[in-house]
Amino acid sequence: MFDIRRISTSRWWHKKKSWAIFGIFLFLVLVRISKGSIYKDFYFFISKPFWPGQFQKEIILESIAQESLTKLNLLTKDNIRLREILSLQESSKNYNISAAVISRKTGGWWRQLILNKGSKDGVEIGSTVIGPGGLLGRVKNTSLFTSTVTLITSPESKLGVWVDRIQISGLLVGLGDENPNLILYSKNADIKVGDLVSSSPASTLLPPNIPIGIVQSVDKPFQARKTAKISLLAKPQVIDWVQILKVNI
Amino acid sequence: MYKFFKKKLPIICFIFIPIFFLWHPNWLGFLGFQPYWPLFWLLPWSMINGSFHGLILGLFLGLILDSVTTDNFTQIPGLILCGVLFGRIKLHSNFFVGHFRYGLICCFGSFLCGSLYFLQILFKNFSESTYLLFIPSIQNILAEVFLTGFFAPFICSKLVMIFKFSRRKIKL
Repeated sequence: MFDIRRISTSRWWHKKKSWAIFGIFLFLVLVRISKGSIYKDFYFFISKPFWPGQFQKEIILESIAQESLTKLNLLTKDNIRLREILSLQESSKNYNISAAVISRKTGGWWRQLILNKGSKDGVEIGSTVIGPGGLLGRVKNTSLFTSTVTLITSPESKLGVWVDRIQISGLLVGLGDENPNLILYSKNADIKVGDLVSSSPASTLLPPNIPIGIVQSVDKPFQARKTAKISLLAKPQVIDWVQILKVNI
Repeated sequence: MYKFFKKKLPIICFIFIPIFFLWHPNWLGFLGFQPYWPLFWLLPWSMINGSFHGLILGLFLGLILDSVTTDNFTQIPGLILCGVLFGRIKLHSNFFVGHFRYGLICCFGSFLCGSLYFLQILFKNFSESTYLLFIPSIQNILAEVFLTGFFAPFICSKLVMIFKFSRRKIKL
């Protein structure tokens, strides 16, 4: 009978520790809902002294030359095609934001980059990110000082692409390894090793004609579709500086 | 101050897990792959504090790591399971056997977490019938299992020492 008081004070909700744990849990749920903005901004400040400075000059110059050449070819062809059609609007004006890579996860399941430019600098969710060579990915979320980019090699990534030589659209699916897969929904597509894959002119997610990669190997047709492994032109594992394209599509 | 830091050493180490996860140091990896960092902290914590604490901190770790990655898949189920399972394992007194066990247990934990993550990817892509394309990415699990098992004896043994040290009372 006299134990009632003792029992009632030993309930879990009377313990400060339980409330502390509940508080931490609530805080972590908030962190989760905000997609780790606080954590990423914290990481922004503590990783500041280690940001990349000079990049490997040779790799950059070689990749830029390759990118410019393929881009020029694609743009010329595209221009001719569009002039023939005479029905396309002028491409919108876009401006680029240069950003340094402050965190890089390019192996394993999580394939993402964290950049040192965030919503404060005008980066928006969905912006296209390119590096020396071509397309790297798209901005998935932003915090005040950082933005997180989902790479095209990530299992989350699915993009519409264009194979210029055979003038056919396909779907580029990231598989969580170095080489994403291109799916062509046509059994008879004449895709060959060495074909250039670029962003689709009809894409609503990406600006047209950004070089993406080269066909590395072609698999046998399966269930009315053809798949091919793509070797990417831009190497996210070595790139230290990227460009964020802000495009009004 | 010293007393405070000594007592909070496990929590201070906990804060560094997402930092390591984001930092992704290449010199501690192999061919771009990295060990599964959260298990190095979760194993000693659960072994010392038991299954329930393992479960809670597994959940917390999962929440934080999910928030710093862009994928829509979650690491929470794997880490919770690992926290519970690791809590049922006791520390071994023999130096060599103890270290070897850290490696083996972390290998198993990494395999469990990797498999659960992989199953989520397969499940999401099942309806689009592209799931067969993902089969070769099992290499991610294997590489992670190897690296986690390789580094676990070095890191876990140090963390066990740190956690035990933080529990010791200071003699004045």
